[in-house]
Amino acid sequence: MIPVFCSRFYLREVWFRPAAELPPHAVHYTGGRMRQRPGVVLVAGFGGLLLIMAAAEVGTLLFLNGLRHNDTTLQARFLSRNRTLERIRSNIYLSGTFVRDSLLAPEQSGAQAQLAALDGLRRDSERALASYAAALEPEEAAPFQDLRAQIDAYWKVLDRTFAWTADERGKYRYAFFYEELVPRRTSMLQIADRIEALNEDALRRGGVKLGDLFGRLQLGLLAMIAVTLLGGVTLAALTIFHILKLEGEVQRRLNESVLSEASLQELSARLVRAQEEERRALSRELHDEIAQAFSAVLMEAENLLDLDPAPEVRAHLDSIRGVAEKGMNEIRNMALLLRPSMLDDFGLLPALEWQAREIGKRTGLRVRVSSEMHGELPEEHKICVYRVVQEALNNCAQHAQASAAQVSVRHADGQIVVTVQDDGSGFDPERVRGLGLLGMEERARHLGGTFHIDSRPGRGTVLRVALPRDVAPQEPEPSTELLWTGVPYGADSHLAG
Amino acid sequence: MAQIRILLADDHNILRDGMRLLLERQPGFLVVGEAADGRETLQLAQDQSPDVVIMDIAMPNMNGIEATRRIVEKHPKIGVVILSMHHDESYVIRSLKAGARAYLLKDALKTELISAIHAVVEGRSFFSPKVSRILQEDYIQALGRKDADDSYELLTGREREILQMVAEGKTNKEVANTLSLSLYTVDTHRTHILQKLNLHSVPELILYAVRKGIIS
Repeated sequence: MIPVFCSRFYLREVWFRPAAELPPHAVHYTGGRMRQRPGVVLVAGFGGLLLIMAAAEVGTLLFLNGLRHNDTTLQARFLSRNRTLERIRSNIYLSGTFVRDSLLAPEQSGAQAQLAALDGLRRDSERALASYAAALEPEEAAPFQDLRAQIDAYWKVLDRTFAWTADERGKYRYAFFYEELVPRRTSMLQIADRIEALNEDALRRGGVKLGDLFGRLQLGLLAMIAVTLLGGVTLAALTIFHILKLEGEVQRRLNESVLSEASLQELSARLVRAQEEERRALSRELHDEIAQAFSAVLMEAENLLDLDPAPEVRAHLDSIRGVAEKGMNEIRNMALLLRPSMLDDFGLLPALEWQAREIGKRTGLRVRVSSEMHGELPEEHKICVYRVVQEALNNCAQHAQASAAQVSVRHADGQIVVTVQDDGSGFDPERVRGLGLLGMEERARHLGGTFHIDSRPGRGTVLRVALPRDVAPQEPEPSTELLWTGVPYGADSHLAG
Repeated sequence: MAQIRILLADDHNILRDGMRLLLERQPGFLVVGEAADGRETLQLAQDQSPDVVIMDIAMPNMNGIEATRRIVEKHPKIGVVILSMHHDESYVIRSLKAGARAYLLKDALKTELISAIHAVVEGRSFFSPKVSRILQEDYIQALGRKDADDSYELLTGREREILQMVAEGKTNKEVANTLSLSLYTVDTHRTHILQKLNLHSVPELILYAVRKGIIS
């Protein structure tokens, strides 16, 4: 039985509770985990992406640099080898010419000069061959060996002619030239051509290799672009997802807080209304029932006294009268403090004037009440103005040490404007925000009104509350058992105060 | 001497019972009816034609002040004594304006009640000493508060005399007879008094007199 009872009770409780008070686990499921991780993830993600891109770029640059270097080297090698071959070739040609010239020379001295030049060519050729041999492609080795052998043989053949006399030269020169020298030269040049072709092959191969490298670079770049793009998109998607989630969270919390603030306000408005209702009921009860009971006691005591009782009884009756009278006064004052009956019986202004008189009697504060109001105010407005003025006057007397205060209630621009001004010590409204002030502000806000305080230390205080006039009361006024007709609101304002 | 016919109007039975007992023990008083709310009071005032109605303010179905207004309007001869818990001037002045002649607090002594009944039967006003005292205190405080000159000082001796008599409930004719003045002169004095004191009606004048302690 009990659990059923409890759960039903709980349900009702929850139903009445504002959203802000719902169980906490429903409100924050995202703990600190979410607060730390995204930062690390984002830094790692974006940092990684940037690192990949930077590394890829540096790698590409280095690679390109290497390629260019390779290409230049290849070209330079080709050219230099080509030049060397050319040198060898032209030396061979030239040697032929020199030999022919020396063979044709009529004088021994002329032939010697040609032979000396030929010797220079020979040495140059040797150097050229040596330099070519230094960087030989593998496939060139055989033809190069050939060429070298041929050239050596050639020089050896030529050597023979050096020793010849002029007659011998004249006798053998044609035969030597056309049968020895030219065929040898031709075959050497052919070998040189072959080597050149091989050299060109090497260049072409180098070009192909470069092309391969370029292709690889292209592939690498493509792969890099793909990786970074994929990473970037993934990262962006993650980031967007997370931001959206955060935004959703923020929106949800905002909604929650707006909602909870609204329900808090609603709750406080309800509390204020309930409190007023309670006070009104209590005040009426005290006044109409308890105090009346005391007055009945008084009346009965009078009746007994009328019977001319013995002196002792009379003394007791007098004592009873005294107690009842005191009780009645206490009850009446208590009821008035809870809620002045004039507020319900006659309206706002008589209640304010009573309040002014009361505080004057209690504290010596001189209060003037002025009003320019027409017609009856809604119940909630009446009580709001009354409580605000009551609180303000209490502040004037208790905290501000004011000697005089001015209360004004009037219509202005479709609003009810209440001001309470005092000549007291004043305060700094930025700093001082007591519960009393908050309560006044809260009451004004419930009715869509504004609350303003203008005060400075030593300059007194002006409190101003403006309530929209045409707001219908939130609840219809409960029908009272009293019918106050024909007593216009504030009709006797000139009599009081 | 004819008996004074009294109507009791209060929503508390026990109080009415006590009052009836108290009043009927007095020679010359006769309680002719008891009403528990405003409308019933109007009805009984019509049916029983009492001389005096002793009226509570806080009653269901029309409060005592409104009931007083309607009764006095219809039967000007009936004197209304307000017997209330409230001692604030806002209640006193509204009661007077409605036509009540006497105002008592509920802790009133028997003697006060009897005096009040006799006073209203004779057309005079009566206030509980306690009410008078509170009104006077409020008035003195109000004077201090406003730093105003006491307008009573503006009145001549004759005007003060007439003020007191009017406040006690005397008609112009009675005043004229007592002071051997013409009705017209008395009326002129009354107008001057109201002007000087910034008052607008006889009930206000009565309240003023109570506050000043001129009558009680």
